[in-house]
Amino acid sequence: MLSKSLDDSGSKAVEDFDWDALTVKGTCQEIEKRYLRLTSAPDPSTVRPEEVLEKALLMVHNSQKNYLYRCDQLKSIRQDLTVQRIQNQLTVKVYETHARLALEAGDLPEYNQCQSQLKTLYAEGIEGCHMEFAAYNLLCVILHSNNNRDLVSSMSRLNEGTKKDKAVKHALAVRAAVTSGNYVMFFRLYKEAPNLNTCLMDLYVEKMRYRAVTCMSRSYRPTIPVSYIAQVLGFSSTSDGNDEKDSDGSGLEECVEWMKAHGACLTTDNSGEMQLDTKASSSSLYMPEPEDAVAHGDANLAVNDFLTRTPFFCEVNFLALHKLESDRGESQGLGKATSRMPVDGKQRILI
Amino acid sequence: MAYLSMGEAHRRITEYLNRFSDAVSFQDGASLKQLLSVSSNSPSLLSLADSLNVFQDANRLIKQSEKYSQFGEIIAPFFRCMQSYRTGNLLDAYHAFEKAANAFLPEFRNWESAWALEALYVVAYEIRILAERADRELAFNGKSPEKLKGAGSFLMKVFGVLAGKGPKRVGALYVTCQLFKIYFKLGTVNLCRSVIRSIETARIFDFEEFPKRDKVTYMYYTGRLEVFNENFPAADHKLSYALMHCHPHNEANIRMILKYLIPVKLSIGVLPKDWLLEKYGLVEYNNVIQALKRGDLRLLREALQEHEDRFLRSGVFLVLEKLELQVYQRLLKKIYIIQKQRDPSKAHQMKLEVIVKALKWLEIDMDLDEVECIVAILIYKNLVKGYFAHKSKVVVLSKQDPFPKLNSKPVNS
Repeated sequence: MLSKSLDDSGSKAVEDFDWDALTVKGTCQEIEKRYLRLTSAPDPSTVRPEEVLEKALLMVHNSQKNYLYRCDQLKSIRQDLTVQRIQNQLTVKVYETHARLALEAGDLPEYNQCQSQLKTLYAEGIEGCHMEFAAYNLLCVILHSNNNRDLVSSMSRLNEGTKKDKAVKHALAVRAAVTSGNYVMFFRLYKEAPNLNTCLMDLYVEKMRYRAVTCMSRSYRPTIPVSYIAQVLGFSSTSDGNDEKDSDGSGLEECVEWMKAHGACLTTDNSGEMQLDTKASSSSLYMPEPEDAVAHGDANLAVNDFLTRTPFFCEVNFLALHKLESDRGESQGLGKATSRMPVDGKQRILI
Repeated sequence: MAYLSMGEAHRRITEYLNRFSDAVSFQDGASLKQLLSVSSNSPSLLSLADSLNVFQDANRLIKQSEKYSQFGEIIAPFFRCMQSYRTGNLLDAYHAFEKAANAFLPEFRNWESAWALEALYVVAYEIRILAERADRELAFNGKSPEKLKGAGSFLMKVFGVLAGKGPKRVGALYVTCQLFKIYFKLGTVNLCRSVIRSIETARIFDFEEFPKRDKVTYMYYTGRLEVFNENFPAADHKLSYALMHCHPHNEANIRMILKYLIPVKLSIGVLPKDWLLEKYGLVEYNNVIQALKRGDLRLLREALQEHEDRFLRSGVFLVLEKLELQVYQRLLKKIYIIQKQRDPSKAHQMKLEVIVKALKWLEIDMDLDEVECIVAILIYKNLVKGYFAHKSKVVVLSKQDPFPKLNSKPVNS
């Protein structure tokens, strides 16, 4: 915390110096500033004071540029805050903003970094969106660790008030659905997810669908309409809160493609409706390797190219690799670009 | 506190020093262990502490004879520990004890036979207890508690000393159990794995050779680990072993074992008798068991909610929650029995809407899609034998044994 008193009087004893005041006080006025990792004490003229950082945050928030650009700007803001030892509501807002962007982009490592900073900041009593992030935290444990102990201990740490919050309640319901394999509940919760809970649920959708179809193949005879499967497994697209089943059939199409990619046996009945042949499928279903995912775009891309492109949708490890390289200050072509189909069936711009 | 003269203090300290060196000379483990049990609050140790606080120059006494000074590295810090302990300075007490313990260990290693094993047990126990209290003091003062972790490191050293071919190796299980207690308390149970591996795979150890008390404790903790991993047959085996070999008068320990064994047994379809719950005060499981017997989903959910905190803390919540499927099975079986009474020829076909209605009667609101999903899961996990016909929304049950019993096997994952 920055101390309020500043005393530069030369006659003071050593003990009287305000050591806090020796923390760097920035003077830089640039709202836009790239991230350059510090390796030594910073020059105050390159560090931005709090008022400028507030404007910088606003700029990033409103920016239409892509994730890498915004991520880079935010890291620069974070660094400026850290060297000036500013730990207040602005700091919380910065980490919350970055965490949200990371979630939307599927960048889990970055999200985790921000989440752990937020944990410390919240624990010091600084105001922020505690509940929203408590829900994200819970979902991370549920959907990412196979560890029951972690799950149980996260659940036991929730106090009564937290458990009543809408977002946390949603996360807990997702937990119950995942534990019991209740796919109907899972995809219903997916549709009505608050905040960015969907982004975290996205990371489990594939697994849940596979569990569901495996289960259905063993329990249903002789067939199930693919349209029904598409509906309960969240393949139908509902645009902008419109509850009608998709009339353009793109959800059904996506479902069929998914089923085929997972080895399902499909047939058509007398009325032309597509059916899942459950008995045959129960022995032919499989989980495809990640490399089989559709790949698009150039294998070699320059870093600078990115920073000016429009928003895109990316694999986690792809981003991590890229950021690692930009941290090192290297500018290299990237190896593999893979993509993932987002759940709502909309094709995003791919690299 | 009664007035303690310098002379009396001097006498008591010297008495302790004599007893210590005699214990070692005569290889008297029973006496030695009493001289080291700080937290026992024995009158003699407390009066020693008082004497030390009065006399203030015990080091001089230690140095005045070779008989005492040869153990100076152990005794001097031990004295400091007693002094701090007496004045409520738990952090300092821990630091001093840790020093004494670290000096004790090489001496122990050099002593030929296992005569001092009981004393080593006391050192292992005390270091854990003092670390816990030191951590509490640290946390109270807003600092980060890390002494228990340090105690764990020391115990690993002790384990290393005991893991050899000689007679001292039977002490390894006791130390293992102390480590378990530390790891469970710290929540770092993954660290248990390496000690378990050492005990179970090293050729120097023969499990049957270890003292019974330690075997029971070991099976209790490893049984609990199996519960966390939802490895129910293994959990059943270990916790049952602990129960069988636990002293029948040790009700507190039996209760602890049952607290975990009951959910495990329920998961494999075995229900305990009512008197067992009553005798050991495990009433939190009453409604869970009733729900299983009656197929009453509402009751199960209520029971889980009522005791949620307790179940989460002990870590059995997820195990109990999974019993839902068995409750559904029971409910469907009851519907089947009623249908059979009404019209045996059609009993093997159960309409989905009948199940929805039954759940509504239990005040559980689930629509067709959700119930269909549950039925699919039940069939998938072999709790219901048959299949589901989607078009007609009917569960077609197998004519033979449509609701198989678990028979001590867990529900298929």
